[in-house]
Amino acid sequence: MPQSNKALRIVAANGEVALIVTLAVVIAVFSGLSEYFFTLRNLTNVLGQASIILLIATGVAVALIGGEVDLSVGSTVAAVAIPLIGIMNATGSLTLGIAGALALGLLIGAVNGYLSAYMRINSLIVTLGTLFLIRGGVYLYTGKRATADTAYLDSFFAIGNGRLFGILPYPAVIAGVVVIAVIWAMRHLRFGRRIYAAGGSAEVARLAGFDVARIKFACFIISALMATLASILLASRLGAAVHTAGDGYEFQAIAAVVLGGVSLAGGVGNILGVVLGVLILAFVSNGLGMINAPTEWQLVITGLVIIAAVALDSLKKRWR
Amino acid sequence: MPDKTKQAPALRVSGLTKRFPGVLALDDVSLEVHSGEVLALLGENGAGKSTLIKMLAGVYVPDGGTIETKGQERHFTSPADALAAGIKVVFQEIALVPEFTVAENIFLEDHLAGRFGKVGWREIRRRAAEIFERAGFDIDPDAKVRDLPISQQQLVEISRALAHEAEIVIMDEPTSSLTPAEVRHLFQVIERLKSLGIAIIYVSHKLEEIFEIADHCTVLRDGRWVSSKPTAEHTNASLVTDMVGREITDMFPRTDRTPGETLVKVEGLSTRRLLKDLSFDVRAGEVVGFFGLMGAGRTELAKALVGYDPISEGTIRIADKPLSPHDTRTGKALGIGLLSEDRKEEGLMLDTSVTRNMTLATLDRFTKAGFVDTAAETKAAQGYTDRFRIKMARLDQAIRTLSGGNQQKVLLSRWLMHGLKVIVLDEPTRGIDVGAKAEIFALIDELAAEGFAVILMTSEMPELLGLSDRIFVLSGGRITGSFDRAGATQEGVLDAAIK
Repeated sequence: MPQSNKALRIVAANGEVALIVTLAVVIAVFSGLSEYFFTLRNLTNVLGQASIILLIATGVAVALIGGEVDLSVGSTVAAVAIPLIGIMNATGSLTLGIAGALALGLLIGAVNGYLSAYMRINSLIVTLGTLFLIRGGVYLYTGKRATADTAYLDSFFAIGNGRLFGILPYPAVIAGVVVIAVIWAMRHLRFGRRIYAAGGSAEVARLAGFDVARIKFACFIISALMATLASILLASRLGAAVHTAGDGYEFQAIAAVVLGGVSLAGGVGNILGVVLGVLILAFVSNGLGMINAPTEWQLVITGLVIIAAVALDSLKKRWR
Repeated sequence: MPDKTKQAPALRVSGLTKRFPGVLALDDVSLEVHSGEVLALLGENGAGKSTLIKMLAGVYVPDGGTIETKGQERHFTSPADALAAGIKVVFQEIALVPEFTVAENIFLEDHLAGRFGKVGWREIRRRAAEIFERAGFDIDPDAKVRDLPISQQQLVEISRALAHEAEIVIMDEPTSSLTPAEVRHLFQVIERLKSLGIAIIYVSHKLEEIFEIADHCTVLRDGRWVSSKPTAEHTNASLVTDMVGREITDMFPRTDRTPGETLVKVEGLSTRRLLKDLSFDVRAGEVVGFFGLMGAGRTELAKALVGYDPISEGTIRIADKPLSPHDTRTGKALGIGLLSEDRKEEGLMLDTSVTRNMTLATLDRFTKAGFVDTAAETKAAQGYTDRFRIKMARLDQAIRTLSGGNQQKVLLSRWLMHGLKVIVLDEPTRGIDVGAKAEIFALIDELAAEGFAVILMTSEMPELLGLSDRIFVLSGGRITGSFDRAGATQEGVLDAAIK
């Protein structure tokens, strides 16, 4: 079995080639515009920064592939950092802190999943609700103040700020490993294939004997866990649980996911595309910063890139 | 078959009952089917066929009665249970994941997963290819199901049955969207399944298929069992009587009528895609039938005639006035309208009331200063529902809840209300019961007698021969044969259709 051929075919069949080309063009253009852009330091920095959105986007993509939306991920990022930092400050234990963060993350995922998958309430509405609810809860609980990390654990500091061999930021390493695992699972685990089936054709999945509600419930759990992981990385970078953290991340994530070719209708998409989508948006944003473009323009250009990419994709489908 | 009746039947259903809130959908129904045998399950819409099938598929749980396979009682609480017991249902709405490959769909239930739930991709492809070889199907296991025609998707479903070593295969209206050649192939596949010892339950509206393929017939009506007999003991009429519950003496009533003025005159009509140089005319009081196999151009002609699709050459004149191409508005104004093949996609607003659906094209007439006069609207709608005997509870009922035949009548009312003189009907009885069909046929005759010109596009031979005053046969976008009523035979028409 010519493995490389097969890999090429998969890439071509899923339209990732266009994304790779786009990414290459973005990198080439900014390399030309700024001498500081194409440097090891800058490229690895971007990977580090992008890893937080990458984790969130991967979770959101799994939910979308399963036919559901999760808008609550940005608020989740702020919420789970509170038990993380709080418990670490109180006990001095990173493990307990992370356990606390995971527990709250699981709870949020379970609430979203229960209401959407079992109570059959539209997940767009449910998670729009929990988006506000969680953010409001965070503001009330913290009195709109950030809680600084006062445990000063080296291990916690390293998670967000260290570099592997002094080169590759740990967040990029962690996100990379996790996302590769998700890519593999979505393709090679029966459960991953069932998420595609349930999202693409719930009725077919039901007739095949799958517990569709359970599959969709799991999607919200996965999405919340990915947001929790992102929150831990972010809290380490910031050295605090910040009440405004993650604000608007849900839309940055969805933008990258859609750019990466995941269908909003469910059942279609590839996490590899999502990785490329995240990288394209991250490099565009970083490159514009490098050439001192005002942030207003970063927003405008990000918007244009998303629309252009998706428009190209639907044109391509029409030609087929 | 004395040797077969000795052993337990592949499937035996006894006293099966299912209630839904307010309805008894299935009431004490029994049937049995043996290995290597085809049982036809017949009945009108609402007779309980779908409910029965869904219980056999494990989608519904029965309220009473038993299901036995090979003499063993079974209780299904999910589709997985039914499959484990060897029952595979091929639904009309194909239950495959369109984005997955053929091979993956065949092993959708368990993905041949090994330890830790790892998908056995290699094994999936190998076994899919093996099944295709054994069954003699020519399908690419790596193709996406989305890209296959319905006929091949059905074969994929049947392959799924083979993969699970199903002993009972239930096919729900399998030929409803197949071409005649595909139907032939499906019948060969069914013979093949029989020879493998698989029991088949075949659900269909099309009686001629039943006589060709079924060994036994079980008929349901209003949720109850009516009869079970070997097919050989049935005639067309006896089957219809069992299904409808009354004798339909004349499926195609015919009033004496004399054609009047020419209402439609088509000369040299061509479209860029398909139609080539068609010329014909249709007079008031006439039913002109167009026959053609799939892809022959029936629907294309219907759409071009009412100005829905552009034409590249030729002229269409309605009541001696030219119809400019690609202009349904003048089409309507001149008095030609289309009742399309796909009622749900192109004609009906499913969740809207009967009245609103009926008055959609004529809303101007009931509107004063921008306000709709609902009293007048309701009165007009009531007139048509009475005239066409449309069965419904209330005029403000959502049209979704009406039967196919009654929906068709509502659409017809819409165009008559608009003052049409020429009605183009594209497959007017697709998916409609025998009983309702007879009513639609009577209605078509009635309309012609009243002086309407009716253009009928159909792929149903009995309907064509029974209704048409004149017949044109289409093949590859051309007229390849024309017959008058007296000279038309099934052989002649088919001959022209495959030219």
